[in-house]
Amino acid sequence: MLAGNNIAGNNIHTVSADARKITGYAALSPGAELVPFTYDAPALGPNDVDIQVTHCGVCHSDLSTLDQGWGPSKFPLIVGHEVVGVVAAVGSNVTHLKVGDRAGIGAQCGSCHSCSSCINGVHQVCNQGVYTYNSPNDHPNGRVAYGGYAEAIRAPAEFAFKIPDGLDSAKAAPLLCAGITVYAPLKRYMTPGARVGVVGIGGLGHLAVQFAKALGASEVVALSTSTRKQKDAAALGATKFVVLDSPAAFQANAESLDVILCTACSHEMPWDAYISLVAPGGKFVVVGIPEDSISINLASLIIRQRALIGSLIGSRGEIMEMLEFASKTGVAPWIEKMPMSEVNTAVARLRKNDVSYRFVLEN
Amino acid sequence: MTSTKTPNDTPVATTAGPRSITGWAAQSKGAPLTIWSYDAPALGPDEVDIKVLACGVCHSDIHTIDSGWGEATYPVVVGHEIVGIVAAVGPHVTNVRVGDRVAVGAMCGSCGGCGHCQRGHEPVCAHRVFTYDAKHANGRAAYGGYAEAVRVPCQFTFHVPEALDSAECAPLLCAGATVYAPLKRYMTPGARVGVVGIGGLGHLALQFAKALGAAEVVAVSTSTRKKEDAGKLGASQFVVLDSPAAFKAHEQSLDVIICTACSHEMPWNQYLDLVAPNGTFVVVGIPEQEISVDLKRLVFWQRALAGSIIAGRPDIQEMLEVAAKTGVRPWIERIPMAKCNEAIDRMRRNDVRYRFVLEN
Repeated sequence: MLAGNNIAGNNIHTVSADARKITGYAALSPGAELVPFTYDAPALGPNDVDIQVTHCGVCHSDLSTLDQGWGPSKFPLIVGHEVVGVVAAVGSNVTHLKVGDRAGIGAQCGSCHSCSSCINGVHQVCNQGVYTYNSPNDHPNGRVAYGGYAEAIRAPAEFAFKIPDGLDSAKAAPLLCAGITVYAPLKRYMTPGARVGVVGIGGLGHLAVQFAKALGASEVVALSTSTRKQKDAAALGATKFVVLDSPAAFQANAESLDVILCTACSHEMPWDAYISLVAPGGKFVVVGIPEDSISINLASLIIRQRALIGSLIGSRGEIMEMLEFASKTGVAPWIEKMPMSEVNTAVARLRKNDVSYRFVLEN
Repeated sequence: MTSTKTPNDTPVATTAGPRSITGWAAQSKGAPLTIWSYDAPALGPDEVDIKVLACGVCHSDIHTIDSGWGEATYPVVVGHEIVGIVAAVGPHVTNVRVGDRVAVGAMCGSCGGCGHCQRGHEPVCAHRVFTYDAKHANGRAAYGGYAEAVRVPCQFTFHVPEALDSAECAPLLCAGATVYAPLKRYMTPGARVGVVGIGGLGHLALQFAKALGAAEVVAVSTSTRKKEDAGKLGASQFVVLDSPAAFKAHEQSLDVIICTACSHEMPWNQYLDLVAPNGTFVVVGIPEQEISVDLKRLVFWQRALAGSIIAGRPDIQEMLEVAAKTGVRPWIERIPMAKCNEAIDRMRRNDVRYRFVLEN
């Protein structure tokens, strides 16, 4: 797979630090199918890397961005932010990666390094943060960020992470967004012996169940609206599977969980009922972003002292730690590989939730 | 029956046996308070009888009189910011003695053995007992401090530091506790703290934030009415949020916000936007209806929307000590207990700066 030509017919062994063309699969307009599209990538700066993409996970954010669910998107649009590949060129200041290393890039590929968030190591909330695609802020050098549904990607090296030897590239890819998005808040909010609930057993949720168990949760409870994924949940390490399909079901599980990680994101979910599952002093962490506002009754937060907390991917340090942790503990996504050329099929099936549990495109 | 001298040498009739206690009660929903006596049983082994010196008037008192949070049990004697002198003790009481000046807050009982109680989080104990409109585990009705006396378990009495005047101590027991606990829990060194609503709770939150070392203490209001007061209360900044532009100018500027206001119609999303990344918006006032929140505000800046209710026992005792040492004091207007209805009427019109304290 690594030898030979990629979709643009470029030989992978001849990448320099100079400006080059990169070909990927882009939507040229809203709602359009993805088609090959070539863009001009500027020369590598001293702190940049060029990665030959071997794998890219398909994330729901890719769909939300293609469909402009979170606001207008910029077209042509190349999505994909669970990118793994082989370092093909490095800028002169780059020391932690060398040509030939396997490296990955997640949902963020730039930050300012000088604001208090960056200085405190919380890069993901930097106001000048650069997202890997469709970023509100472009790179400081003006380079437009295009994602990993492509033959290659160029980004600041500090947001490219070495893939541990024990991690297969295809399985590492979804960790770069889905994995870190659930790992970071679990690690931040779990206390020893925590009873952890996961709402939504999908791309994020199936990893959350594994990470919660590996991080030492005393109970890992899969929370769902049907029994469809009950068997999978058990195989993933859940100690319990709860179907929340009636007020009685919510009541039976009231105040039973210390941390709930909510990966679902419909604004019409019965949010108060879900929050009622949190034990006093506990936390309801949201990582999925509903498209509309939700309605909640503050009394349930106040009287039982709960917190409703947002979490966004993770910092650079957390990503590195998560990759090592996954490598050591065996946490891995359940993937379905597809050739990158069949990206439109993957996108169409993800729209129908027809995946268990992550597509990974392969070059 | 024995006579015991109080610190000011007035003999107090003391008995651990049953007695009649006279207070001011609402006999029905929203009714003015009238004098009413109830039969208090003999003190349990760990209970104390407290002669009430002062009792703060809290908004919760009015909500309860009005059955605003569910049907109250009438007659109801409210008042949960109580300071008084211990007049009698049950045989197992060891933490206070007759003659001690003690305080009682919004809770007067909990199970004592669950994980929450063991960690000092009594307000979320499944068997918590509020100081009024409640029942103890043994069935005894709990009546509050708009009265000559209260009888409570000794575990829920707090020593009043010498430096605190009784009437000034009273509002700390609920208002003070309610803002102190989340400030302590969520402030980190150098925190920029905002207080929304400069009222009974807010005016204490400004002072405690400063005493706890906030780098900035920002009073957040919808008008300039309390600007001068806010400065005297220790605010380093006064922000008037009366337009979208005003909200925008202060986006992401505060690490911890204590929101004492509770109108469900407030622009909650814009208030959340005031919180810096990784910061916390603490709500202590319960709106009467659901509110609308755009979760993007929480996710993209990793903000927390956290609820807080009164405080556990360790925090209350600590809060009293901190106030005594640092000079945090409520701004009070003293009113004779017999004029409690006047205080309530004026409180309903928000005509108070910033707490009424009823005195016997």
